[in-house]
Amino acid sequence: MAEQRIVITIDENGIINASTEGIKGEMCLDELQKLLSELADLDSITKTDEFYQGNELKVQNKIQNKKQ
Amino acid sequence: MSAVVKTATPFINKELLLQALKNIGCNFTLQGNDILTDRKDYYGFQKFSLNNGRYVFLHDSSAEIGSFYMTQPNGYPWGNIKNQEYKSVSEFLKTVENEYQSLYQKKLKELELKRLEEEKRRLEQERIAFIEKQKSTIIARAKEKGYSVKEENVKGKIKLVLVRNTYSK
Repeated sequence: MAEQRIVITIDENGIINASTEGIKGEMCLDELQKLLSELADLDSITKTDEFYQGNELKVQNKIQNKKQ
Repeated sequence: MSAVVKTATPFINKELLLQALKNIGCNFTLQGNDILTDRKDYYGFQKFSLNNGRYVFLHDSSAEIGSFYMTQPNGYPWGNIKNQEYKSVSEFLKTVENEYQSLYQKKLKELELKRLEEEKRRLEQERIAFIEKQKSTIIARAKEKGYSVKEENVKGKIKLVLVRNTYSK
């Protein structure tokens, strides 16, 4: 059984930072899009090395929305 | 022939007028819509009376030359109570007018400050409501997708930890 974890922070200005762990490949971005869609405009997406290492490795990606 | 006419400040606000009278040391009593001052002339107390939305100062027209009457036997005594000196009606009204204007400007500044405070509070409430909506939407979506959600407050930021266990090959 694998654990999928998403950590989302919302700061006092409504800026959202989100990172995923244990969600494989492109799936992590899809998951974040589904959770955050329409809530904020995406400002940047940082893919970690693990993102490119295929589905077998832990993937950590970060997504950040635009400043309001 | 041409003419230039200037009118005095209309005393519209009762609260300001009363405060102005108080500030210049003119005692008064309220009688219905009338404000009776402690200035007395032939017809009794001179008063401000509400007329067409403004307070008009009612007095004996000869009171304007009151200084003359004061010198006469049985001349009526009236004047500015504060300094016990004679003041004509026009001098008195000018003094009231200046004080009224000063209070009015002060009131405008207070209202502007209050308006800005209210606007600031409204913006702040708008921001908090927006963030709350972001949070509740994320939590609802996460629960729908089978995540357990833990909420924390870290240095003024909302931290949501979403965890889900899946069976994978």
